Amino acid sequence: MTGSRRRGIAVMALMGGLILSGAWAVARVVQDDLRALLPAGGDAWGWVKDGDPQEFAGEDLYTYINGGAEIYQEYGFRRVVVQDYENAAGKSVSLEIFEMETPAAAFGIFTFKRSGQGKSIAVGAGAELEDYYLNFWKGRFLVTLTGFDETPATVEGILAMAGAVDGKIGEKAGKPDLVAALPAEGLRPQSVKYFKGLLGLNNIYPLYTARGLTFKEAARGLYADGETLILLDYGSAEARHDAWLELRTGLEGSGRFEPAKNYLGDAVIFQDGKGQFVAFAEVGRRLAVGIHSTLEWAWTTAARVR
Amino acid sequence: MSRTIGRRDFIKTGAGAGLTLVMGKTLLAATGPAAKAKAPLVGVGVGEDYGQAAVKAVELAGGIKKFVRKGAKVALLPNVQSRHPGSFTKPEILRAVIRLCKKAGAAEVDCLSWQPVKQWEDTGLKAVIESEGASLEIFEKDEALFKPVPIPAGVALKEARILSAFYEHDVFINMPITKDHAGNKFTGTMKNLMGLNSPANNRTFHRPNWKTDPNDITHLDQSIVDLNKAVKPALNIVDATEFIVTNGPFGPGQLFRPQRVVAGTDRVAIDAYCASLWALRPADVFQIKLGGEQGLGEIDPGKVLLKEENI
Repeated sequence: MTGSRRRGIAVMALMGGLILSGAWAVARVVQDDLRALLPAGGDAWGWVKDGDPQEFAGEDLYTYINGGAEIYQEYGFRRVVVQDYENAAGKSVSLEIFEMETPAAAFGIFTFKRSGQGKSIAVGAGAELEDYYLNFWKGRFLVTLTGFDETPATVEGILAMAGAVDGKIGEKAGKPDLVAALPAEGLRPQSVKYFKGLLGLNNIYPLYTARGLTFKEAARGLYADGETLILLDYGSAEARHDAWLELRTGLEGSGRFEPAKNYLGDAVIFQDGKGQFVAFAEVGRRLAVGIHSTLEWAWTTAARVR
Repeated sequence: MSRTIGRRDFIKTGAGAGLTLVMGKTLLAATGPAAKAKAPLVGVGVGEDYGQAAVKAVELAGGIKKFVRKGAKVALLPNVQSRHPGSFTKPEILRAVIRLCKKAGAAEVDCLSWQPVKQWEDTGLKAVIESEGASLEIFEKDEALFKPVPIPAGVALKEARILSAFYEHDVFINMPITKDHAGNKFTGTMKNLMGLNSPANNRTFHRPNWKTDPNDITHLDQSIVDLNKAVKPALNIVDATEFIVTNGPFGPGQLFRPQRVVAGTDRVAIDAYCASLWALRPADVFQIKLGGEQGLGEIDPGKVLLKEENI
């Protein structure tokens, strides 16, 4: 082997080593960043880490949330860190920080997980405190804190840790634009849900078909008089047009919806198995779905988006 | 007692080498014409003492001796999916069932699982198992520890992979908690059997890339129904005391407290009853509807003998 060839091999080996160590270093930094969001001693007074954090990324989420991972994947999941905390009185709180792919995904899974009946809290970009747990979202992160009882000490710990994590997340982002398309008048703000796919939608109102439900995003709101409005956004009027034809055929063939006899011009209205009326209105790239116990209100709900 | 079992340990016991196949008739409930003609019986114990509610439910379902004979080896399958409140089978119910089995003369009562032991510790179930003298057998997620079980009548699932150790037992008691599920809205007796099936096989119940096939939105539910064609519990005892009705199956979620324990052999009838507790229409839950249509049980409440009693 010549000296120049040996030097060449040595340089390549060195470069390879640098690339490998660089890649490793990047991986470590990314991993450490997520753990850096965990409250440490003093961040939440009286609460200390109990054990080591666990991390799951991508499809490994199935290992952690066995059977419940698919909804996170539908929204766009990147990774999660889980850490338990305890206080001197033996109370426990579990902290989960989910890093989603986009702020819209974080907002969406936040709206999916909240019951809509909790107490709104000024943490992150939006937070809801239920009896024994709290969810908030901020930037690309969804944070869930779970206590194992409903005592004031546990709830105080949940709130203290939520504040600590909130302070460590530097990202900020607003809600997806589609949410603003839900008419504000009469809307119950905590009822708003945002979807990225069929799993989420089926969970709040199953249409018993997937035909034509190839929407890019969707939003649901409940209104003061018992109306439900769902907006399905297909990205373009053409895509919406084709999808609506498919969906209509799917509904007619599902055996779950009966076309309603209506006297409202070109309105397309079905009746579901519970007797509710489900009206559809085409609005540009969006399909508006109004649901109510009366035919007129179902149609009015869908049509008001126009 | 608890232990973790790997492939090497399991082969030593003989089951991994295919030495036992005792499921057959001993694990199956009666399937003759006379039995089919009888309306399925669902027993429900109602009250704040969940252990006593379990005892009452089993009594109303025919009594433990109808299902567990003297000297039997009993396999139990509680749900330990998560430690969040309302997402796992209550320890007091497990305690009551272990005691019932022992009272009936069971030679051995084992909880089988491939879930991490931490789940059993965090839920308090491990402590109950140990204090009641039962066994916890944790298996590694090694496909060699699961027995291939063909499902000739399977629509979506043609082969299950059931924990081989399961077939070393004479009686199988299924012990889910009913609750919400993000994927298909409902968890009950049928869904719980995924806890016996290998994680790799369970993964096929969900679509690649998490996309729903437009022509097959019932894939998960149909897979669950198919799995239930491969394994039939001798008895189901369902925790419907306090459970999550949002953000299932993992939680945390909104708790609903009907304070009921439900027991019986008919999985469809039991799941239909549990779904209706939180205002779901059984026919709207694909797994219940498909289970009824494909012969797993009775979805029509008018054809079910329901016995409910307060404790």
